[in-house]
Amino acid sequence: MTDISQFQSRRDWLLSNQPASRLQARLGRAYMIWLSFSANRLALVGLAVILGLLLVALFAPWLAPRSPFVGDLANARLLPPGTDGYLLGTDSQGRDILSRLIHGSRLTLMVVVLVAIIAAPLGLLVGAVAGYAGGWIDAVLMRITDIFLAFPKLVLAMAFVAALGPGIENAVLAIAITSWPPYARMARAEAMGVRNSDYIAAVRLMGASPARIVIRHIMPMCLSSLIVRVTLDMAGIILTAAGLGFLGLGAQPPLPEWGAMIASGRLYILDQWWVATMPGIAIVIVSLGFNLLGDGLRDALDPREAGK
Amino acid sequence: MTMQLRKTIARLSASACLIALAAGMPALADTPKDTLVEAFAIDDIISLDPAEAFELSTAEITSNSYSLLVRLDPEDTSKVVPDLAESWTVSDDGMTYTFKLKPGVKFASGNPLTAEDVAFSIERVVKLDKSPGFLFTQLGLSGENVAEKARAVDPETFEMTVDKPYAPSFVLNVLSATPGAVVDKELVLSKAKAVTPSAEYAYDTDFGNEFLKTGYAGSGPFVTRVWKANEAVVLERNDNYTGEKPKLARVIYRHMKESSAQRLALESGDIDVARNLDPNDLNAIENNPNLTLDSAPKGTIYYISFNQKNPNLAKPEVDEAMKYLIDYDAIGSTLLKGVGVIHQTFLPTGQLGAIEDTPYKLDVAKAKELLAKAGLPDGFSVTMDVRSTQPVSGVAESIQQTAAQAGVKIEIIPGDGKQTLTKYRARNHDIYIGQWGSDYWDPNSNAQTFAYNADNSDDSPLKTSAWRNAWDLPELSKQTDAALLESDTEKRAAIYEDIQRKVLADSPFAFIWQQVEVAGVSNKVEGYKLGPTFDSNYLTNVSKN
Repeated sequence: MTDISQFQSRRDWLLSNQPASRLQARLGRAYMIWLSFSANRLALVGLAVILGLLLVALFAPWLAPRSPFVGDLANARLLPPGTDGYLLGTDSQGRDILSRLIHGSRLTLMVVVLVAIIAAPLGLLVGAVAGYAGGWIDAVLMRITDIFLAFPKLVLAMAFVAALGPGIENAVLAIAITSWPPYARMARAEAMGVRNSDYIAAVRLMGASPARIVIRHIMPMCLSSLIVRVTLDMAGIILTAAGLGFLGLGAQPPLPEWGAMIASGRLYILDQWWVATMPGIAIVIVSLGFNLLGDGLRDALDPREAGK
Repeated sequence: MTMQLRKTIARLSASACLIALAAGMPALADTPKDTLVEAFAIDDIISLDPAEAFELSTAEITSNSYSLLVRLDPEDTSKVVPDLAESWTVSDDGMTYTFKLKPGVKFASGNPLTAEDVAFSIERVVKLDKSPGFLFTQLGLSGENVAEKARAVDPETFEMTVDKPYAPSFVLNVLSATPGAVVDKELVLSKAKAVTPSAEYAYDTDFGNEFLKTGYAGSGPFVTRVWKANEAVVLERNDNYTGEKPKLARVIYRHMKESSAQRLALESGDIDVARNLDPNDLNAIENNPNLTLDSAPKGTIYYISFNQKNPNLAKPEVDEAMKYLIDYDAIGSTLLKGVGVIHQTFLPTGQLGAIEDTPYKLDVAKAKELLAKAGLPDGFSVTMDVRSTQPVSGVAESIQQTAAQAGVKIEIIPGDGKQTLTKYRARNHDIYIGQWGSDYWDPNSNAQTFAYNADNSDDSPLKTSAWRNAWDLPELSKQTDAALLESDTEKRAAIYEDIQRKVLADSPFAFIWQQVEVAGVSNKVEGYKLGPTFDSNYLTNVSKN
């Protein structure tokens, strides 16, 4: 009895429409988002996939049954899935595909996180400044954005990697450079929506500098839609990284990057289908996970879009 | 006149049909009985003119459609056998070669073949000076002196004078290369175009180069009927051929690049022979009762080399240690299965003086010991430039794994052929993995690149492979020079054996394997046999049932 009443009272406290403190209001808001998010089954599946990816990446050295880098070329080359000790088979260098997939999850996660950390703040800053300042600053920043948007993303990323030299760090950089413009566009639209609001005028009257207004009062308004957009884009980022890896411009051997693994398995696709298929399945699952998660987040964070 | 015109039109339309068949229709179930259809990556062809063509696929086409003075003996490629030449003598000073031609030989056009044609053919190669031009200029022939140094004494006697008393085996081997093919002087001159002489090109005619780019003026067992870039090459039986006539009426090379596409076409009977198969497709063909595999080692050697400008790699112990960090056995039995054989010396099997020593095998303990002796007990980090093609990149990854066991951390820098080669030629690499195909079938071609470096400075005029790895080897260079002038063939072979042993023991080169050319052949085909070199894949004895 007491447990239930306690639970109910905590729920009531969270959902109270007269929050007594800022903290209570914030927690209440987060709880409501969680409620609408968790009502979406598919979104929960997506969340589970991403949490699974995080755990696998975190505990990769303990989870992987074998070394991802050193294979047994003479005795264990191109073994089919299910062979003793090799659950998903081995590749052309005699390496365990399962172990490579597990270690590859770290690379995938690293690419996604680094791109998000570089591209999202950059886009947000450019967009918020352009939207708030207007005038020639807006024109200059948006024309630069237009230039980047004028090229297909993968082609531009390939050009950057070709110029910087192949490698996973350069691939991350290239993807980040090519993926910020949509965020800038979006942030600009949001910023233009709020720049003439009364609360902005009030802050300005109190003497806040333009930098303070943009950072403290405009950017937070763009944040929720940005989070949704970034999450939805993560699948695309993974695919771009895999595409670069496939073309030999991303991660370099012997790194177990999934796209590069598909590329090296392509040679054997007629007879040893598993070499290319296993990393392909991994990419599909993780991309799907990010898409489902993003969809759920959009419904939860942006009530205007919900139910459409 | 009208008869001839009609004939030409008939021929042209027939060949047009053939191309349509060859290129356009994958659904064609069975190939005709008198026609052999081969799938072959022929995108390397830039010209069919023997004085210009110097590619792998053109070597095969030229050697089947033209005659040469001498050819390599397919049974023992360290010797040559007569083709157009009936016999030959070398003067006492070792500089003048006199060839007596077989009488009664005719070109496909019907014109008689005389010593004039031989002299003209060599004159064209020297004066046009395309990529194979060096073959003859290295013998002292030049645009100014070729008319007197390579001349017809009478219609059946051809005489060539070289500038040094080279080993006769060397000169004859050079003449056996396809640029020495004899063209029909009368026909070619009638098609030659006038050009305005310039600073680069001093002659007022193109010696029929433009005509021969796609045309034909030879006397071989087959006639080259048509070449369409990246589509097909069609050969037809030469009815004027004086030797044993081919059994097939026609051979079609159909351009196909991907191994898997070739394999599928072979399995469904669209083609009779598949020429560019990857190791992973060989197994399926071997297990198919309707297909067989034919293979022959070729003159291309694959190696890794260590730039002596890198302070770590400059230590001889390190180079030796690296040679013990390659898992030759596993690489040979897996990655190279069917397409290469382990070969650790710089002369390919079949060349004069080639030895088969294989002293190196994977031995991590020994490598560690050598590294410790070099003052690098914990190994070191180094980069390796790798062309992203199989099996090279697979072998590079394998070496990366085995070298890591002794602490040598190799970072692979992949690139296309042009990128890696440019870096290699500029001596900017650490470790390079690549291949070397002999320019002509003589030990001098390989010895000159791997055991010769007259000038190790950055602007040396002769950029051999030894130079590219900054390897200074004055003693071996002298020995290579001496071998070229040794007139006794056995003694010459002995010098090359000695050079190979020295390079094997102490050099910045680790030779790993020799290429094996492999073809998947339908059981309907009889007598198909790949030769020991790219210009001895003869088609005369092939038939179909």
